[in-house]
Amino acid sequence: MKRLLNIILALLFTSAVFAQADLLQKGNELYVKDKFKEAIDVYNQILMTNLESPEVYFNLGNAYYKTKNYPHAILNYERAKLISPDDEDIDFNLQIANQHVVDAIQELPGIFIVRWWNSLVNSQTTDTWALISIISFLIFLTLAGLYFFARSGNMRRIAFWTAFFLISISMFSWSFAAQQKNWLVNHTRAIVMQPTVTVKSSPSEKGTNLFVVHEGLKVKITDKLGDWLEVRLADGNKGWLMTESIERI
Amino acid sequence: MHRFEKRNHDNTMIRKIKILLILMFVGYGAMADNIQFTMEGPEAVAVGDQFRLSFTLNENGSDLQLPDLSNFDLLMGPTTSQSSSFQMINGKTTQSSSFSYMFVLRAKKEGKFTIRPASIKVNGKIYESNSLTIQIVKGQPQQQAAAAQQGNQSQPGNQSQEPASTGTVSKDNLFVRLSLDKTNVSKGEQIRATVKLYISQNVPLNGFDEVKLPSYEGFWTKEIDVPQQVSFTREVYNGKIYQVGILKKTILFPQQTGSIKIDPFEITCLVRQKVGKQQGFFDDFFDNYRVVKAKVVSDPQVVNVKDLPNQPANFSGAVGNFNLTGALDKTNVKSNEAVTLKLTVNGSGNLTLINPPKIELPQDFESYEPKTTERTTANDNGLSGSISFEYLFIPRFAGNFTIPSIEFVYFNPSTRQYETRSTQAFVLNVEKGSDDQNGSVVNSYSKEDVKMIGKDIRFIKQNQAKFQPKGSSFYGTLGFYSTYVVSLLCFGFVFVVNRKKIRESANLALVRNKRANKVALKRLKAAFVHLKNNQQEQFYESVIKGLWGYLSDKLSIPVANLNRERASANLLKRGIDQAVVNELMKLIDDCEFARFAPAAYSGTMKEMYDSAAKVMGIFEKQIK
Repeated sequence: MKRLLNIILALLFTSAVFAQADLLQKGNELYVKDKFKEAIDVYNQILMTNLESPEVYFNLGNAYYKTKNYPHAILNYERAKLISPDDEDIDFNLQIANQHVVDAIQELPGIFIVRWWNSLVNSQTTDTWALISIISFLIFLTLAGLYFFARSGNMRRIAFWTAFFLISISMFSWSFAAQQKNWLVNHTRAIVMQPTVTVKSSPSEKGTNLFVVHEGLKVKITDKLGDWLEVRLADGNKGWLMTESIERI
Repeated sequence: MHRFEKRNHDNTMIRKIKILLILMFVGYGAMADNIQFTMEGPEAVAVGDQFRLSFTLNENGSDLQLPDLSNFDLLMGPTTSQSSSFQMINGKTTQSSSFSYMFVLRAKKEGKFTIRPASIKVNGKIYESNSLTIQIVKGQPQQQAAAAQQGNQSQPGNQSQEPASTGTVSKDNLFVRLSLDKTNVSKGEQIRATVKLYISQNVPLNGFDEVKLPSYEGFWTKEIDVPQQVSFTREVYNGKIYQVGILKKTILFPQQTGSIKIDPFEITCLVRQKVGKQQGFFDDFFDNYRVVKAKVVSDPQVVNVKDLPNQPANFSGAVGNFNLTGALDKTNVKSNEAVTLKLTVNGSGNLTLINPPKIELPQDFESYEPKTTERTTANDNGLSGSISFEYLFIPRFAGNFTIPSIEFVYFNPSTRQYETRSTQAFVLNVEKGSDDQNGSVVNSYSKEDVKMIGKDIRFIKQNQAKFQPKGSSFYGTLGFYSTYVVSLLCFGFVFVVNRKKIRESANLALVRNKRANKVALKRLKAAFVHLKNNQQEQFYESVIKGLWGYLSDKLSIPVANLNRERASANLLKRGIDQAVVNELMKLIDDCEFARFAPAAYSGTMKEMYDSAAKVMGIFEKQIK
């Protein structure tokens, strides 16, 4: 019974996918004709069905950029980047859109290992990492079998060390996939959507005004209290602002 | 077609159209027939003044029909006169003659009167003259008689009535006016400024002395040519008749906004005045006159200049009404050949102040500053003409290029709106020039960096997208985890099965070993009995028999055909080690030796038995 339900769901899903593909095509045609506003509507229509793809976010970001709506452009580029972190086009357009952001934030340099780690994690998508993990695990198992049943000592030695190497790769890619999935699901990053937002020292209107940020800036959400969110800027500054002034990536 | 006979005036509509047509045909017909019939008269006269009304015809006409002249007294006329002239130019003779009819009229009452056209018959056709409007003003008692028709020739008889010659001339009698055709304008809109000198009829003017022109600060100016010799016409101003001379005409283009004050115009006139009252005999014939300098200053004028509404980015600075044409001097060129794009702006307005329109050339073109040629004339209609911009550029590479249509934005002051004129797009076909081809020296090719012309986001992704539910990924799904579990289970299963198999095959070896030992023991059973009974000869014999029998069985060779060489060759062939074969041969040798010479054999029977059993065991394992 459950299986049947699954099949039906799958069928529905595929038909929905076809409909989305048509919509995407339509949106692209509108974009080519410089009808950016209409294209935005069409792209958003796709996203309303709870389906997503990096292409839709990227094209939507482009359409927003062309209508000079830079915060939305940045938001959609960031969303595209979350799903497809290894796409060079997304990085390029995001960088151009970020030039329209008023705030010049001096990013904390961070430990180089952490930066390497993050760039390594971001070099592949979640699913690619998951696939790498599975494949290396399978090869590991094969080599383990070889180790156990090989007669010649040399062969066994090679099999052992290769298997060890592969199980490490498998574990690392698993953790990379886990990390990316975490970013994808938890939405801890957000983009400032209001033209100017005053960041407070505490989650209330009476809090001391700490600093002012402008639209398009990327922040990290670190805490939540009622309607207030604690955010952290790339330069390490922290403060509270209202939920509606930012939008989660 | 060109016949026109105006006979009856029927209903109004048709009449209007007819009049229009007739007016058109008058010009046309007159041109065609070369017949001109004009009426001339003064523009303004005072009541009681006599004036001349004359009709001029360049052909011999008859039956002159005068218009209604009931508002005037006809004093005299018509006086006819005739003149003719011959002209010979390059052997071509032209003859022209004119007939004139002159009437002397007197104005009866004040007002503006229109004299309807007169008509005349020439060669059976009727021609009409123009109409004329005459303004009659209140008579000015002192000046009334002063040489009405004869312009400024003073008549001796009227001198006593001239104003007292005090050396100054009253402002009523001599003044300058600076008149502007409009005082509320947009920035850059042209204004016609006319400086007129008004002289009362009875003030004789000898000449001008100093002229101080206004500086026209805040304006860009252009002079309209006026004749050097000032010609005077009659004009009514404030109910008085003046001789009016145009001194200066200027077109002004305001360059700043707000109220701009124009400095007064100053001129010093030389006026002839009679000196004293002499009662001499010759006084009437030789009057004493002196020339008086009279400085007259015009009233200052103020012009209100409005700024242009928010200017479009590509506004050329032109204000007026214009047309734009553009042309390439050639459309097929070779690379490195110069091409000229000529844009011409026609119209009236501040032509000289137009900035060259921006043209968008393909990036590889080498372009130069445009050359500007101006051809303008200033007349009463303002500054008009054309200004042309020649853009010289050199395409450096072959290809088909398109220069997009060029837009020229100007401000039209009459509609107070920006208007755009544009050319068509120009297509330029550039072929490879000869100097490109003979580049035999490869090194001479110059490499160019790709120029970054603009910065923009990358284009949208056109590929087919793979849609998936939001936030979904393969990682973390049941499939992901189960892949690990299933593969691990598979591995475990294979491992266990394999292990078991290995163990089993190990058992098989054991069984074989056991069996081999069993076979060996069976073969050596007799030997074992002899060993026990210590029967040496029989023991050795049975060992040898057992060995040969075993080999015969194993190698499937009958004992009769079996010898040492054959046995060893066969054993080696079946994969037995050389060492084992050698051991077997030694064993057989030892056995036979011990059988025939037991005392010579150093080993014991027990040793012999064991090694025979061992060799057979090895065979049993190794033989295939």
